[in-house]
Amino acid sequence: MTGTELALRTDGVGKRYRKGWALRDCTLALPAGGVIALVGPNGAGKTTLLRLVVGLLAPSTGTVEVLGHDVTASTPQTLSRVGFLAQDHPLYKRFTVAEMLRFGRACNLRFDQGLAERRLAKLGIPLDRRAGTLSGGQQAQVALALALAKRPDLLVLDEPVASLDPLARHEFLQVLMGAVAEGGVTVLFSSHVVHELERVCDHLVVLNRGRVTLTGDIDTLLAEHRLLVGPRTATDLDRAGTVVQAVHSDRQTTLLVRDGGLPAAPGWQAQPVALEELVLAYLRRSSEPSGTVWSEVAV
Amino acid sequence: MRWLNWRQHRTEVCVLGLLVGLFGVALLVLGTQAHDLFPGGPARCAGEAGVDEACTAAFRRLDEEYGYLENLLAAFYLVPVVIGAFLGAPLLARELEDGTWQLAWTQAVPRMRWLAAKLVALAGVTVALTGMFTVVLTWFRQPFDAWEGRFQYDAFDLEGLVPMAYALFAFGVATAAGAILRRSLPAFGVAFGAFLAARMSVALLARPAYATPLTTMAPVPVGGTKDQAGYRPVHSVADWTIERGYADATGRRLSSTEYYELEEAANQAGTNLNQFLHARGIQQFGVYHPADRFWTFQLIEAALFVAVAAILIGVVVWRVRRRLV
Repeated sequence: MTGTELALRTDGVGKRYRKGWALRDCTLALPAGGVIALVGPNGAGKTTLLRLVVGLLAPSTGTVEVLGHDVTASTPQTLSRVGFLAQDHPLYKRFTVAEMLRFGRACNLRFDQGLAERRLAKLGIPLDRRAGTLSGGQQAQVALALALAKRPDLLVLDEPVASLDPLARHEFLQVLMGAVAEGGVTVLFSSHVVHELERVCDHLVVLNRGRVTLTGDIDTLLAEHRLLVGPRTATDLDRAGTVVQAVHSDRQTTLLVRDGGLPAAPGWQAQPVALEELVLAYLRRSSEPSGTVWSEVAV
Repeated sequence: MRWLNWRQHRTEVCVLGLLVGLFGVALLVLGTQAHDLFPGGPARCAGEAGVDEACTAAFRRLDEEYGYLENLLAAFYLVPVVIGAFLGAPLLARELEDGTWQLAWTQAVPRMRWLAAKLVALAGVTVALTGMFTVVLTWFRQPFDAWEGRFQYDAFDLEGLVPMAYALFAFGVATAAGAILRRSLPAFGVAFGAFLAARMSVALLARPAYATPLTTMAPVPVGGTKDQAGYRPVHSVADWTIERGYADATGRRLSSTEYYELEEAANQAGTNLNQFLHARGIQQFGVYHPADRFWTFQLIEAALFVAVAAILIGVVVWRVRRRLV
């Protein structure tokens, strides 16, 4: 894979269900290589976007291109380049683990049975157990082993660790990141937990209420944003249009700005912003019709 | 795909196969005994020409010893819906219930190929199982059919081509309902309800109209009693009678009130009813489909149900193709 290839390009993508729009005007260009996090609260449209990416759904508007191909064409070749791990990692519960692997082999072009068996053996998951009798963490691992044995160029995971306990979550992420480190695969996963993303991800997409509110390389985003702390004031803060969020306490005003590191005004102190704070600010902002959030904090 | 289909649906296929096998063997055993009543084969006794004394005796014993069975056979009306709906309902619904559709359709097998393989395999099993059962049941009914013909509901609906068509229809309804409701059990229920409704309305309303029925008209005979046999000369028992009654000398059909008035008048006059009617030129009429239309009717009804099944499968294919499920 070349560095310039796009893992995912969406253009004006929208998806309407009977009850309304789940996703609107979603335009993204995500680079191949590395780990992309799709973040947003429950009901933001993350699952819809991921299902559009893997071709499980067709968009109501716009186009979705994965690794340079329109996903709705879905030929065996394009399908075999994308792996998907759905929410709650579904498996055929009455299949044994070995039968799940046979399923993978029967339905894929370049399924690496040996790879899957090695992974499962390392985790101590017996092949003759029925999938439904495994623990949640083990089921997730079997589903991940299946998806990885497909040797996809893009691996899409929908809330992969949401239903796992902390230990299983840790083990799962370890296996996933190990696979990324082995190279070749771009990972796109969704999460409603922002915690720990910084350590794992290279790229960020924030989705709220069916719209993309922030997207970019995480290091770049962190470098572009700063917290400015100064005396309390309520006027004239957003002349340059760079204020993302303003929080007022009794004596202080804290601004989150996206100014690329311009010198701060006299009397103001600049601080770096943490990723979690940044994401939360953008989530709050997109909930407000006006854009910038002006909130009073009672002390 | 073949292994996957077998692995996913082997339970249903085995259970249905076992049931068909058990009932089939029971019918074969009982049927052999019933067939033994007819040394020359039941076909020899079919029709007016064949009914000799030996046949009459055989028919009487058949009725005494196996008549109860014939009534039990009515339960087999449900065989096509059990087979078709049991195989069709989980086809998509189980994947949607368990979330495994997301697994199945993100492997390298395009969803249309996946769907085609499933539909062909399970529709094939549906037809094969129903077909095997129908063959056994048709053989079992040979002695009864020799007596009553094959056009009555208890023969027509269980024999020939229509059971396979009914089963395909049930399969189509169950599959489509499963795709829309996303649940196996409700899909099975819908298929069951639709099956009963469609079968009843077609058998009672549509079937008599597949062709223009024939009408016979004959004067009431002077002698004889007023029983079923009185209609015998009108046409053969193997024909399917739709309607019968009395008409006046000009051929105008009498309403039941008019007929009862005549009956009363005969009673008051103290004369034999048949003589009374004969004297007034009253005729008996029968509206019927002759027995030799059996296969034509089978083809029409089978085509009807297969066509509806095809439309329902088309809906399923359309929904899956458009990624609506």
